[in-house]
Amino acid sequence: MKDKLLLNILHEVQDKEGYLSEKSLKKISVEYNIPMSKLYSVATFYTMLRTKKQGKYVIELCGSPSCVLNKSREIEKFLERELKIEIGETSKDDLFSVYKTSCIGCCDEAPAMLVNGEPYTKLTVKRVKEILEELRKNANS
Amino acid sequence: MQILRETKLEGLRLARKVGRQKVLEILLKKKLGGRGGANFPVAKKWETALGVKADERYVICNADEGEPGTFKDKFILKNNFETMIEGLLIAAYVLRAKRCFIYLRGEYDYLREELEEKIKEVLEKSKMKVSIEIVRGAGAYICGEETAIIQSIMGNRGSSMYKPPHPTISGLWGKPTVLNNVETLTCVPQALVYEDWNPDYRLFSISGDVNHPGVYEWELGVKMSTILDVVKPREKIKAMSFGCFGGIMPVKKSSSVSQETICKGNCQHGAFSIIFIGERHNIVDICLSIAKFYTYESCGKCTPCREGTIRLVNLLKKIKSKKVNEGDIKLLKEFAEHIQETSLCGLGQSCGNHILTSLKYFKKDYMRYIK
Amino acid sequence: MRIILDGKNLEVDGEKTILEICQGQNIKIPTLCYHKNLFPEARCRLCLVDLDGKLVTACSTKAKENSKIVTSSEKVLMARRRNMELMNPGVDIGKLSDDFEAREIYEQVGLDNERFKPIKNYLPELGAALVRDNNKCVNCGRCVQVCEKIQAISAVDFASRAHNEHVTPYFEKHLSDIACIKCGQCLINCPVGAISERSHLKEVVEALNNPKKHVVAQTAPSIRAALGELFGMEAGTLVTGKMVTALRGCGFDKVFDVDLGADMTIMEESAELLKRIEKGGPFPMITTCCPSWILMMEHFYPELIPNMSTCKSPHEMLGMLIKTYYAEKANINPKDIVVVSIMPCVAKKFESTRPELNTEVDYVLTTRELGRLIKQRKIDFVKLEDEDFDPTLGIASGAGDIFGNAGGVMEAALRTSYEIATGKKLKKVEFDNLRNFKGIKTGSIKLNNNVIKYACASGGANIRELLKNKDKYQFLEMMACPGGCIGGGGQPIYFDDKVLELRSKALYEQDSKREFRRSHENPIVKEIYKKYLGKPLSKKAEKLLHTRYRERDGF
Repeated sequence: MKDKLLLNILHEVQDKEGYLSEKSLKKISVEYNIPMSKLYSVATFYTMLRTKKQGKYVIELCGSPSCVLNKSREIEKFLERELKIEIGETSKDDLFSVYKTSCIGCCDEAPAMLVNGEPYTKLTVKRVKEILEELRKNANS
Repeated sequence: MQILRETKLEGLRLARKVGRQKVLEILLKKKLGGRGGANFPVAKKWETALGVKADERYVICNADEGEPGTFKDKFILKNNFETMIEGLLIAAYVLRAKRCFIYLRGEYDYLREELEEKIKEVLEKSKMKVSIEIVRGAGAYICGEETAIIQSIMGNRGSSMYKPPHPTISGLWGKPTVLNNVETLTCVPQALVYEDWNPDYRLFSISGDVNHPGVYEWELGVKMSTILDVVKPREKIKAMSFGCFGGIMPVKKSSSVSQETICKGNCQHGAFSIIFIGERHNIVDICLSIAKFYTYESCGKCTPCREGTIRLVNLLKKIKSKKVNEGDIKLLKEFAEHIQETSLCGLGQSCGNHILTSLKYFKKDYMRYIK
Repeated sequence: MRIILDGKNLEVDGEKTILEICQGQNIKIPTLCYHKNLFPEARCRLCLVDLDGKLVTACSTKAKENSKIVTSSEKVLMARRRNMELMNPGVDIGKLSDDFEAREIYEQVGLDNERFKPIKNYLPELGAALVRDNNKCVNCGRCVQVCEKIQAISAVDFASRAHNEHVTPYFEKHLSDIACIKCGQCLINCPVGAISERSHLKEVVEALNNPKKHVVAQTAPSIRAALGELFGMEAGTLVTGKMVTALRGCGFDKVFDVDLGADMTIMEESAELLKRIEKGGPFPMITTCCPSWILMMEHFYPELIPNMSTCKSPHEMLGMLIKTYYAEKANINPKDIVVVSIMPCVAKKFESTRPELNTEVDYVLTTRELGRLIKQRKIDFVKLEDEDFDPTLGIASGAGDIFGNAGGVMEAALRTSYEIATGKKLKKVEFDNLRNFKGIKTGSIKLNNNVIKYACASGGANIRELLKNKDKYQFLEMMACPGGCIGGGGQPIYFDDKVLELRSKALYEQDSKREFRRSHENPIVKEIYKKYLGKPLSKKAEKLLHTRYRERDGF
């Protein structure tokens, strides 16, 4: 596996399919001659790769001390309450999966989160509420 | 800011003109050290890799900064990426490498498309016959560690390996491999081109309870009072945390900030990141959030880090639940020290700094919870 | 290079790790993740020593000129103990089976106070051959390395990270649901017993206690060369007679010898080979004694099904003969007979669940389980007198004995094939080219006008290697475990390959002492064919002693 980099292959599949299913990994396994156990091992090592079906929007809330100092815990509680899930789960309507990450490098605009990889910064509960509403609207249209 | 100076491929032109050896000489003379924290002379690193007999050598740009409180590499990626690519190309030229990688942390993936375009542009202009591939990181802090990044690029779990062999001797696919981070590579053409280039200018990531968080450039030894004057605390500052690795310390306005004061020399990853912590916070709270970072980011390979970091989190949680006695604090200290002493890589070896320093300077905050 | 080791000035080889140096000096350093045959990953951090004031792992660190190494200071001992405490809190040393290294290591390191509660919470997996309990796992990674590098199967790997890191097949599946060949090399290399065999001991004890049941034991060739180790005897001690006595002491009504089953296999397999030579193929013909190899073929090389011999494995043949030939002869209702195979193998447990076999083997015990049974019955094994197998199905040739060694089946088959095909007697029955510890062994033999090229591979990676060149050969022997059955997943846990060499030597020694060295000379074999089966590959033999295979999922 020198010519093509496994991480990039896995990302491409996830970009397309939303997550790394058993079926997709088996395809990769055959094409690049990598054992399934190894693919699963690699995929589960990296938190941004997912082996289970995800909500339409994957929210990654930053849990760094900088964000904690800027009240990210309030955002966390709000998300759990609003979406009726706990961190690590997917909302019933399959729209949102919420995770906490170590640091997304937006400490100067804390608190911050990524939604499908795009950063949202200087969050307040009010702002997060608006963001969720907008995402819901986009999902329905 | 020195780091924003553009070099417009002038550095590469110069490098090719003077030749490999001369480039190494200049970089050594200009005292360019690695900006990942260790400050190891760049020229020495390159020289080692160049000295290994091999049919192939690789250059990796480490764009996987991920220590909480650190965002200066992102600042460069956004504002002076062309110069960084030039640094990468100079490294490739000196090392006769044909293949370069930029390991971009997954959290910065939204920058990728723009970076790819710029890579194309610069490569075309440079007329160098090398490839620069972006490796898409995927949320693993440990991949900022040099042996883990290599494992990750090769398609493995990003677990740290013990050294030796050092990557400069046997790295990617067993070939000599040079790893430099974004800031370091950006400095390379700047150091070559600008006579007045100053090796002591460093990027600082400032965040926390301040009115003007952001990336700043100061000379090593800068006074804490200078920093505070600029970033403007929004409340009385009780402590500062040097990223996650450097520990939590009281703020002394008269003190100066240098490599030594940040990590006391025992921290490998410490970039100049300062998180200012205001008076209303309990330090145990902050410690817990840092401890959670370690439990989340440990690669899981070695026992003390895998099993120990979660125990530190559990102990801190227990302390916060107020159901503890001083024995638990002793246990916390014992294992914070133990994990540091016996872990395989830099992550485990510094994962107790915040606990040990806060126990030293802010014992009061802990004692509040004691029965 | 000079170093100071525990205060002693020493001249040492600078290329050696500190652990190797200490081993040479008879200084005991506790290790869990380290294994001689594997790449040292320095995961467990138990082998810590003090190198010039810093704690380092002895397994992965080389000493430097003039360095001072301390292996048992209070600092070192405490650090090891703390890592042990972190690794497996709540471990009850008393309950830890003797079979595993960890017991000794735990005692050595000492775990007096447990200050943390266990955090692991995994559901154990109960398979037909293997039981996997991640709650006991210490993430040493030896199973992962063995499965990938030595067996080339990669059934398991680490998943997740940090404290959630755990060993698992892909997508948290069970070993029984994936392309795992159940060789049990993971088990042999697991220091803590997180992987163990699916025990049949309880069922066997029940049968033994049931007066209505006629319980028959049959022991595989390689048991007798290894069983003694479980009772503190030197590796390579042949304990055939004691083993038979012990089995009778445990309450088995009859004790038969699978070596005889091996002779039967050779009769059928040689006939098959000669028939294929006559018909022109398909070649290479491949042996089928090893159930893990069969699984490997079915999962990864199903195109080889036509190449496989159709012979059942020796204990399956003998099991069948016990419930037919023997039952008839002894006038016992086969339904009252319970056949217990004592095997060096965990895959045999799976094998006996294959519908294609119409198996007559009721239970399979590993060598280790037999050891446990003997200990349970409080039999003083070392002091036992020697007894002989029950003669009805208890006489074997030396060819049957060597089935336990990689290359042994081939040697046994060649002895018979040659003599039957040419009508001439071999001047020397030993095939020296097959008696070594190479992963792949090759040779050729002239049978009348045909030169038969043969090769043997043991260990999954070697099998894969050999298969790349399979078309060069007419006859292949495949054994999934390195060294063959003497190194099987059901054998006493060993740490040093020397043990395998000694076990192997014991089997060759048994062969050399036999009255009959060739399967076709075995009087019982002759009698079975004369009175019961007719001749090899007869209709009856085909029905009772042969089987078929199926394609399985490659994942």
